[in-house]
Amino acid sequence: MGTSGNRAIMSNTEWRSPVGRLIFLFYLFLLTLGSILVLFPFIFSFTAGLKTSTEVFKSGIHLFPEEWNWGNYVEAWQRFKMIRMFSNSIIAAGGGVLGQIIVSTMAAYSLSRLKPIGKNILMAIILITLGIPVMAVLVPRYVIMTDLPFIHISLVNSFWGLWIPYASSPFMILILTNSFNAIPREIFEAAQLDGASEVRMFFKIAIPLSKSIIFVLGFLAFIALWGDFLWPYLIMRTPELQPVSVRLYTLTRYAPINIFLAGSFIAMLPPTIAALFLARRIRGGITL
Amino acid sequence: MTDNAGFNRIKIKSHRKINWQQQGVAYLFLLPFLAIFTLVNWYPILKTILSSFQEVNLSGFKGWVGFFNYTRMFGNPIFYTAWKNALIFVLLSLVMGTMVPIILAIMINEMRRLSSFFQTIVYLPALIPVAVGLIVWRQIYSPEGGILNSLLQLIGIPPQLWLQNPVLAKPALIIIMTWIGAGGTTLIYLSGLREIPLELYEAAELEGFSVFKRILYITLPSISARIKILVVLQIIFVAQVFTEPFILTGGGPANSTRSPVLEIYDTAFNRWDFGLASAWSVSILVILATFSILYVWWSQRKHAGEV
Repeated sequence: MGTSGNRAIMSNTEWRSPVGRLIFLFYLFLLTLGSILVLFPFIFSFTAGLKTSTEVFKSGIHLFPEEWNWGNYVEAWQRFKMIRMFSNSIIAAGGGVLGQIIVSTMAAYSLSRLKPIGKNILMAIILITLGIPVMAVLVPRYVIMTDLPFIHISLVNSFWGLWIPYASSPFMILILTNSFNAIPREIFEAAQLDGASEVRMFFKIAIPLSKSIIFVLGFLAFIALWGDFLWPYLIMRTPELQPVSVRLYTLTRYAPINIFLAGSFIAMLPPTIAALFLARRIRGGITL
Repeated sequence: MTDNAGFNRIKIKSHRKINWQQQGVAYLFLLPFLAIFTLVNWYPILKTILSSFQEVNLSGFKGWVGFFNYTRMFGNPIFYTAWKNALIFVLLSLVMGTMVPIILAIMINEMRRLSSFFQTIVYLPALIPVAVGLIVWRQIYSPEGGILNSLLQLIGIPPQLWLQNPVLAKPALIIIMTWIGAGGTTLIYLSGLREIPLELYEAAELEGFSVFKRILYITLPSISARIKILVVLQIIFVAQVFTEPFILTGGGPANSTRSPVLEIYDTAFNRWDFGLASAWSVSILVILATFSILYVWWSQRKHAGEV
């Protein structure tokens, strides 16, 4: 695989030539401009969170506050009970990812290795499911979750109401089936000769050999579920149970703008920090 | 020897029969998947289609009504407004959302040592909860002290009511959606750019091809499979836009940002008319079916060739 060390579209010699330097400066200018645009809402909410609320509404360009009211951040943290929001988000997204990984690895192992009858039909159904627009099943999904078939339990205000739908990912099953298919047969055959059961081979061969792809898929799923809005908005009606995305939105109606923007900036931090740490592991891992 | 051969034959024969124990294990592994997918995907899709022919409200099933929900849906001008809005959202997002990530990916890939830095930056907006980003953007667009208007005044553009003007509301939302989505798309293109064999560029360089021609004849064709899939995915995704209009405009001004899913939400959860909401859901299924088929087909073909 080509790494940035060798060359990209231009060779290193070209890149260092006068024309190459010009192109470099042009790219650098555009990317810097782009980065400023990308980072602007982060910077904006950070500095607006330090202002007084009258200053936030004042017109004119004053990105930096007259006085740095760090107390706004403390107030947002305490008043919004942000620890609570974050733990809710972690429980919701973490449980969802765990469910997705359990369901998908098991299904993919069966489809890849265990030759279930009707395998091709199942694969076709998974593909069709992948094509179903999520929003088309939203309403019945909600109705079902408020009154589960047979047992007639409502999962409103329950994390199970989030985890169960989150655990279904046709995408993850397809990718993992491909990934298990790519493991050389000989490895499984050797283990079989040693008398290993399917369960043992699942845990000792299939999972360990696919752990980097599982990690990437899990990370992407975590980010998606962490930011999910509509479903937790419908399911979690009690403020104490709401994840960051939903709780901050409902708070906009009650909180002063400066405190609120301070809270928003705090909410942006954990994923940002995670991204900086995980950048190396995720790089190149994102495919379709 | 002969015994052994006979034994082998029996073994082969028994293989052809269904090994129930193995099938039991196979389906045990499939059980969580079958249970959960039935509950949250297959049963709901069936229920959507059935409910669209029923009167259903908060207290449940009221009776079969034939095509009544559909006549109500087609008879309401909102149906055409919402889908026209969805179409405009899709077209605007394709203009921004296809070009920007490809250009970003090509530039970032060329940047040598700075490449991983910019890569992390462009991906940041995708990581924060959409609702949080939207609320910050609402303040940026705000007519009262919104910094966007103040910045534009610097270059002589008078203040605009970004989210309150029917002409500007859609582009204003698309800018935010591009801000959120471009990073993820860029990373997917980047992983595609890194798979291109470097010999191709070396050969092109020896032949004296300019950088622009290399991009045109090598880079773009190499990532064309990804472009196709991402365009279709984007169409499916943007046609179902909900959170942005829900939080920022509530579908207004003058229904200019009312999307089909927003209408489903209002019909189902504000008016508790599940039958009509289901008819709307079927309209999403039908209208997006072509794109869904293309997406599934192209992405499978790509995986088959790759993995």
